[in-house]
Amino acid sequence: MKMKNYIQITAVALCTLFMYACSEDDAEPLNIETGISFDRAAILLNWSDNIIIPSFTNFETETNALEVATQVFVDNPTNETLEVLQASWFTAYLGFQNVSIFEIGRAEEISYRNRLNAYPTSVSKINNFIENGNVNLDLPSSFDAQGFPALDYLLYGLAQTNEETLAFYTTNTNAVAYKTLLTAVSQSIQSLTQQVLASWTGGFRESFVANTASSVNGSVDKVTNDFIFYYEKALRAAKVGIPAGIFSNDPLPQNVEALYKGDISKELLMASIKTTQDFFNGKHFNSSTIGAGYKDYLDFLNTIKDGEDLSVLINGQFNVAMEEAITLNDNFVVQIENDNSKLLEAYNELQRNVVFIKVDMLQALSIDVDYVDADGD
Amino acid sequence: MILLKNKTVLLSISLLTLFGSCSDDDDTVVVAIENTVEVPANYSFSRNGESTVSFSGQTTRIQMAEEMITAFFEPTNTVESLNAMYAHEEGAANFSNNALNSSNKNIKSKVATSIDFFAANAAESAQIKQDFETFIAGQVNEVFPAWETLATPGVPGQIAEGSTPRYVNAKGLEYDQAFVKGLMGALMTDQMLNNYLSTAVLDAGQNIENNNSDTTEEGKPYTTMEHKWDEGYGYLFGNAPNAANPLETIGDDDNYLNKYLGRQEGDPDFAGASQRVFNAFALGRAAIVAKNYELRNTQVEIIRKEISEMIGIRAVYYLQIAKIGFTSGEIGAALHDLSEGYGFVYSLQFSRNPETNQPNFSTAEVNSYLATMLETSPNGLWDIPFETLDELSNTIAARFDFTVAEANN
Repeated sequence: MKMKNYIQITAVALCTLFMYACSEDDAEPLNIETGISFDRAAILLNWSDNIIIPSFTNFETETNALEVATQVFVDNPTNETLEVLQASWFTAYLGFQNVSIFEIGRAEEISYRNRLNAYPTSVSKINNFIENGNVNLDLPSSFDAQGFPALDYLLYGLAQTNEETLAFYTTNTNAVAYKTLLTAVSQSIQSLTQQVLASWTGGFRESFVANTASSVNGSVDKVTNDFIFYYEKALRAAKVGIPAGIFSNDPLPQNVEALYKGDISKELLMASIKTTQDFFNGKHFNSSTIGAGYKDYLDFLNTIKDGEDLSVLINGQFNVAMEEAITLNDNFVVQIENDNSKLLEAYNELQRNVVFIKVDMLQALSIDVDYVDADGD
Repeated sequence: MILLKNKTVLLSISLLTLFGSCSDDDDTVVVAIENTVEVPANYSFSRNGESTVSFSGQTTRIQMAEEMITAFFEPTNTVESLNAMYAHEEGAANFSNNALNSSNKNIKSKVATSIDFFAANAAESAQIKQDFETFIAGQVNEVFPAWETLATPGVPGQIAEGSTPRYVNAKGLEYDQAFVKGLMGALMTDQMLNNYLSTAVLDAGQNIENNNSDTTEEGKPYTTMEHKWDEGYGYLFGNAPNAANPLETIGDDDNYLNKYLGRQEGDPDFAGASQRVFNAFALGRAAIVAKNYELRNTQVEIIRKEISEMIGIRAVYYLQIAKIGFTSGEIGAALHDLSEGYGFVYSLQFSRNPETNQPNFSTAEVNSYLATMLETSPNGLWDIPFETLDELSNTIAARFDFTVAEANN
């Protein structure tokens, strides 16, 4: 809300500067010279048909493979089946970074991101599931005991070596419970993903593409809010800022993504930055083709900041953040222990784009932020 | 920009008016006072080398109230066990902290018992004490049985606010929020504004004579007046690690007044409130040491205005912010905001208008607002109309010096 005020105030100032009409909050932004508005339908089509649906389709395949690998392992727990399962978990976890931005429609209704990737996972809740059964993954109180982080614990956190891990699924007195929980979590990832994809292909796409309104309920406005929320909370804060200790007195290494696997936190972060930048540019999923997106939209409006195209500034800042990320240790726990200042620096570079995107881009597109920072109480 | 400028101009005018009327009324007094007593940087006062500041009873009650928050989230608790925490008896093992268990103090005996508002109002005091037991009973009898089920309109249970589970009754109300935010008014605010800062307490019996002659309490380093003032201070800063300089941790020291006075700093419209309240407490205490009771009373008015306004701002904020949650499909967030708002609305009856020395809202008014929140729609908070939220917000803001727009960010 604070941001909204700031934006409104700056918007008023801008109106005065450029002398063009923006009498209402939800007025569609126009090209200053031509007075023409951007083709929002083209953006929505590109997003749904070339980015969102292909990303979910790909990810669904990966969750199917994860589910199959889980079944194979549970039916026959060996070193080999464990390694196959671990590999498919990693592949799917990377694939999830491509879809997590799109918390809209069915995904929003079912709290998709929180059900697939709430971390740190609660070991005490998982232990409670193992000892007492009563697993209900639909309950909000189970959000931090499921998804990829729970699998991270079940596949890498139970013991130091695969051999010892295997014992939990074979000789352990609770082996059946471990197998049951592993299956339930894998199946839940798969079925939630199927629901989201089925909704997109089963009618949601049509209403999404048709909703070209320039208002809080318009598709562009909603996706944009989801995009920024994702960038700010799920990427910048969760993957980097919180573990680096930005929001606490000390660093919180136990809060890194993939804590138990350990050496993939950088890769997950980089995948997330790449997806975010690609989405900004309207780049098709798994292709080098560029379609309509924020970059086009900003360029169409001829949005300039400090004498530079805003889209160039944003892309430049994505590149800087990515270069900073590449220099980090594969394992952020190690990075925090060795030199936390590098993680803080990565955070700073990510933060710089929050200003470009959440303030400057939103202002240019005349979009209001529709979320408030939760109280935390 | 233009709007903003106008607002600043208006503010300056009103400030000028304030100062103007001050100096017209009691010109000499103000000048004389400000020459003699300055705002101390720290809340530390001593006599013969010994600190005279003491508020351990307030710290104890804040800590008991803190433990009640977690107790609301343990479904193994019963009506009896929660009521026993609320009305703790010395030696009973109600708390995890043994110092609290051995205390002869409790929460309930200080709920709605201020000398100014409730000394001659025993029936209302009893009803308010009972309200908190009703929240407890609701949590145990309605919400605990639904602990492991999903809430839907008309059905109690869990609902997600982001990744946090919230636990609501059939009408979408979190009893824990009603209890905690209500207690902030009924215990901390009422005791502070309407009891310890009341002249009926500060100046009771021989307090002025004793303070004038530095006659301390039997076996204590402080005069009674000093101590009463400190007890008021303790309800806001009593759980701060450094209570002499509590602003360094404002907002972090409890989940009651301290937290929300700190939270107010996040809104530029109201920035500086915690410093103003601290200054008033410190200056008022220094004024007591200097035997300047007029200056002391001026500080009381500042504290009453700021704390009362904070409750009003928070009530309006949550009623307004809930609309965003509903609009963006974050129903769990909306219900949580409304539950907080419900508790703050409850607390309005303990706020105090320094001009009338009456609560800004009567108990009857507050009860009607609470009923409006829960009973306007069939499923209570789940489907409360936005018009109802706006009407309530406007009604509340109209009695204070802030607007709905200022509170709503």
